[in-house]
Amino acid sequence: MKLATAALGTAPEESVAAEVGSALESVFDAVSATRAETTALLARVAADHRRPATVDLAALRPGLHLRLARNALVSGVGFVAAPGLLGDVPAWLEWWQSGAEGDVRPLLLDLDPDHSAYADYTHWDWFALPRDTGERAVAGPYVDYLCSDEYSLTLSAPVETEGRFAGVAAADVYLRHFEAAVLPLLRRLPGPAHLVNARGRVAASADPAHLAGSLTKGPDFAAVLESARPARHDGMRLIPCRGVPLVLVTSPR
Amino acid sequence: MNRQQMNGGARRAVFTPVDNRARVDAVVRRIGDAIELGLLADGEQLPGESELAGQLGVSTVTLREALMALRQQGLLTTRRGRGGGSFVSLPEVPGEERLKARLRGWGTEELRDLGDHWAALSGTAARLAAERTEPEDLLQLRRTAEELARAEDAAARGRVYGRFHVELAAAAQSARLTREQVALQTEVGALLCLVLADDEYREEVADRHRSVISAVQDGAHRTARELAERCVQESTARLIALRLTL
Repeated sequence: MKLATAALGTAPEESVAAEVGSALESVFDAVSATRAETTALLARVAADHRRPATVDLAALRPGLHLRLARNALVSGVGFVAAPGLLGDVPAWLEWWQSGAEGDVRPLLLDLDPDHSAYADYTHWDWFALPRDTGERAVAGPYVDYLCSDEYSLTLSAPVETEGRFAGVAAADVYLRHFEAAVLPLLRRLPGPAHLVNARGRVAASADPAHLAGSLTKGPDFAAVLESARPARHDGMRLIPCRGVPLVLVTSPR
Repeated sequence: MNRQQMNGGARRAVFTPVDNRARVDAVVRRIGDAIELGLLADGEQLPGESELAGQLGVSTVTLREALMALRQQGLLTTRRGRGGGSFVSLPEVPGEERLKARLRGWGTEELRDLGDHWAALSGTAARLAAERTEPEDLLQLRRTAEELARAEDAAARGRVYGRFHVELAAAAQSARLTREQVALQTEVGALLCLVLADDEYREEVADRHRSVISAVQDGAHRTARELAERCVQESTARLIALRLTL
């Protein structure tokens, strides 16, 4: 009898977890479109038997601008080349961001290691995870002091050319926008609820005891995501969000 | 002097912003430091006056005064006509001498205050990082501590030292502390080269950074704060001691 109640009780949580998943899925759509366009572009250049250059990547701009305009959650989008891919520069981000007045602007970084202490971007999760796993990834929440100075989530996917890793297609979601999108969903639940990433870092919260950026300690969230099934830990309910590496955590009222 | 004249130039000057001199100094420091740190290379052309003024958020008048001061310091040359503009020019004097000249532009009270601000930022960042960090967050900090232990030239040491403190603020999960730290490092970074040129002190700083990382990893937030503050205070004390010899 107790078990049956518990099973019924998870239904609204599962629907909220699914909706959080689909909110981020719309951002992954922007990543996939960028990935597809970049892959096609690099294939065309390879068919000409030449090395791609920054000027070739300019062809991505109309698509990037469109994605910034269409999805309110997306504040930055682009392609980040693997070092050595392009013939004219050692490293490059074809990256566009929305400005405060609804304008779009390119991100221009100093990527010369002799000048900048931040020239090497290959260790950031949004680059390293897709490169090392070959899978799409969600990095963060983290303070993005390289590109936006914002507390962010970055969704990314690997791009390949001629069977080799060529870089990542990615999109930034500022945490304040993510919170605005998911808070109404979390507040639909009867008890305090929050969302954490695989490492237990809180990504959004309707629970004053668990604020964004803090760690929820105890449960093995990576294992919950791996199993893709709801679990319990010390009275908390843990529900994986479909398709994205976030776990919905609800505490007893 | 009649009323008409009072309404002219002199009167307008009364109502110009009072901190204009401070703004000129701030621009001189910012661009001068960028040249010292190698962020702007010898021979590099600066953007046009109106563009640069816009980027720095100052009036073109303020910018012109600052550029003139930089020309007097020998850090810029101006070429007229087609292809003209302001160009970075590193004088023949060794970098250390130029940096000492820059340090002379700071009062010890200003350096002490800068150190207080920095200690507040890094101390708080270390405490929060100890509360909010899990092992993967520390990879970048470790990489930076080791890079500092290996960095050869003084400019690179200054940059990597600054990056450690920016990464510490990011590990605290605070965008505001991180932005403040980035801004502070653009002020202090060039000066730090002066104290980091000493290999023994460079090694000491690398050790201090390693012990901050250990305290953060152990979740020892009070210790992490103290260690980060002490690291910053020691660097500031060295800068002040050096300033007093000049």
